[in-house]
Amino acid sequence: MCRTGPSPDPPEGGETTSTDAAFTALLEDSADELYESAPCGYLSTLMDGTIAKINTTLLTWLGRSREEVVGRMRFTDLLTVGGKIYHDTHFAPLLSMQGSVSGIALDIKKAEGGRLPVLLSSVTKNDSTGRPQLIRTTVFDASDRRAYERELLRERQVAEAARTQAEEDRERLQEALAVLQQSLLPAALPPVPGMEAASHYHTASPDRLGGDFYDLFPLDGKRWAFFLGDVCGKGPQAAAVTSLTRYTLRAAALHDPDPVAALTTLNTVLHERYAAGDPRYCTAIFGVLEQAGDTVKVELASGGHPPALVMRQDGSAEYLPTPGGLLVGILPSAPFTATTTELAAGDTLLLYTDGLTEARIGEERELFGDVALRDFAADLTHTAPHEVIEAMTGLLNSFGDGLDDDTALLALGVPTDRPDTGSDSPT
Amino acid sequence: MSPLTTIVQDTDTGPVLHIAGELDYSTAAELRETVTGLALRPGQRLVLDLAHLGFCDSSGITAFIVARNHATAAQAEIALVAVPGPVLRILRVTGLDQVFSLEPGTDAQNGRTASG
Amino acid sequence: MDIVSRNNVTVTGPQDAPVLLLAHGFGCDQNMWRLVAPALAENYRVIQFDYVGSGRSDLSAWDATRYATLDGYAQDVVEICEALDLREVSFVGHSVSSMVGVLAAAATPDRITSLIMIGPSPCYVDSPGYRGGFSAEDIDELLESLDSNYLGWSATMAPVIMGNPDRPELGEELTNSFCATDPAIARVFARATFLSDSRDDLKTVNVPTLVLECSQDVIAPREVGAYVHDVIPGSRLVTLDATGHCPQLSAPEATLAALTEFIGNQS
Repeated sequence: MCRTGPSPDPPEGGETTSTDAAFTALLEDSADELYESAPCGYLSTLMDGTIAKINTTLLTWLGRSREEVVGRMRFTDLLTVGGKIYHDTHFAPLLSMQGSVSGIALDIKKAEGGRLPVLLSSVTKNDSTGRPQLIRTTVFDASDRRAYERELLRERQVAEAARTQAEEDRERLQEALAVLQQSLLPAALPPVPGMEAASHYHTASPDRLGGDFYDLFPLDGKRWAFFLGDVCGKGPQAAAVTSLTRYTLRAAALHDPDPVAALTTLNTVLHERYAAGDPRYCTAIFGVLEQAGDTVKVELASGGHPPALVMRQDGSAEYLPTPGGLLVGILPSAPFTATTTELAAGDTLLLYTDGLTEARIGEERELFGDVALRDFAADLTHTAPHEVIEAMTGLLNSFGDGLDDDTALLALGVPTDRPDTGSDSPT
Repeated sequence: MSPLTTIVQDTDTGPVLHIAGELDYSTAAELRETVTGLALRPGQRLVLDLAHLGFCDSSGITAFIVARNHATAAQAEIALVAVPGPVLRILRVTGLDQVFSLEPGTDAQNGRTASG
Repeated sequence: MDIVSRNNVTVTGPQDAPVLLLAHGFGCDQNMWRLVAPALAENYRVIQFDYVGSGRSDLSAWDATRYATLDGYAQDVVEICEALDLREVSFVGHSVSSMVGVLAAAATPDRITSLIMIGPSPCYVDSPGYRGGFSAEDIDELLESLDSNYLGWSATMAPVIMGNPDRPELGEELTNSFCATDPAIARVFARATFLSDSRDDLKTVNVPTLVLECSQDVIAPREVGAYVHDVIPGSRLVTLDATGHCPQLSAPEATLAALTEFIGNQS
């Protein structure tokens, strides 16, 4: 607190008196002088904005004489056009509602051109009835601070632009990945006469290409080939192997549809391609379907893949063992195990990848396992392939966090209401 | 979740790698690095002791294949010892039980040359 | 969606009195009407609201695309009229809301039957043969001013400002608490306000219209008021002896008198 007049309190002791005297000598400012040469600008305006009083400090900053300003200019005349709009849409309403406004950042125009960034605070002075009479405003030079703030703002804008860019890039990448992923799978399963087929692909992460694959395609007039498998690893390298695998198996099947021969061709290709360095291999089941009277004959071979599951019309669900079949691609020549079965009306063959059986469940995070899968499948006998896939998809979803791998499902079944049995009643 | 620990023990017939903990996507790379860093001479036998392996998924299987390729390249052999039941199940499904020689646990004393 | 809480709609005044719908402009919220609303509510059913994104509206309902043009704001008005089933509405629009009212009246001619425009401007930026008072650079400068003053805005204050005071102690820290707006939202509103051109829409007005202007208004100069008056046939122009852009705050009595006189003549 600085005193501008004689101290009202009597001095208490000699030392205090001399200190007080020294202060008084130093601070002999009059209130007027304090007003005029304060380290900030002072301004009083009428309610219509006309400038009624202004201190020397602010006049110096503006580069104007008192005569030019007082009674002749309005407060908003000192502001830039953008500042005027801001004043009339924000500053003035706020002041009117609150009786005070503080710390508003605006630019004032200097007479010789150029701007001074300032921070403004205003209060209204009211008469005895509470009616505003006058607006008092302090003006602080905020050049340094505003330069710093502008820098902060600029950085934030740069950061926001970078974030937007990153989000766009990410979206584009995900789109590209989705397209690539789809190229590894058939867009839709083709209709197979006398059979119904359904499939599902669970993607663990949209950012990461999965390595699971399946396909179903015609070999000739009466035979169809199918396969389903899992390439080791994830990401673009795995996807490249998946692509190679899918097209190799398709081509091999057309050349020689024997399941063991098709897997052997794939083994040769993968081993030759990836013999050196990072081992790349896959597990796969390859099979051929052939209509034989009322049933469909299935001939399949497995290379290191979990056994297929057969759901029978009689309510049983059993694995179709293919022991001894080796991972495809790790050895120059590999054994593959073939087996056959027949699907009668109401029977369904289910192929899956180990994402399903290796899902971790419960608090102990135990593996779901092949026993639980068989039990689950036993409840799905008497249902059509698309219903089996629906139920299995529900199961996968129920695993939540416990399922962190891609999972492919392919169900091939012989419908009970096949058109040639006459039970396909029109609806 | 217990991290992966590997301890290398040098024996007359070749290195024995004691593998403990969980072998999954996040730890398999570490094992691959350890394995391919092992010096093997022709005719030696690389032993992977899995007695204390708590969990192993397909990434772990890849690491075993890397170990096998490393041994084969050095004209050495490879064996898996004390394979836990769940791992044995995966080895059977993938046909790898024919590729690795599998041996029961020997309660071999732990080596003192530690890594990881 | 509950429009009443989305737009923070408040209703005062006698139930069966003629309806006044008060629409705030850019820069603030329904607080703008605080000096005139109580007096109006003695004789009118007074409906006040905040546009989505302003005041205590539901910010989660804000959408950058919808509120990038005045049509989005007009849609708010139409939805409020429908939600409250308002009929025979005298729409009082401040500043940019005058043009919002024009759009809303065109969309619901059966509900909005007269327009009161306070400080209207159909186009702020000058173009050949038209003087709105501003250049495109001026508007950029305004956006810069907005940005400079956003530094006082912080996300932690937002709940208090927007009326969810689960931390009431924050309220005391706020100095300029009225009319505080999320910076990103204010920017969109500023652009919609100052870069739109509603001159063609003005020609569609076919309801009784009062143009209320201030004698000294930088944002809506008198020649713009005259333009609006000229384009709308049969409109009434009243010039208040007031400075600034907000006569309902700076000259509430004169504003009230002009409003009530005009509405009185309509009924």
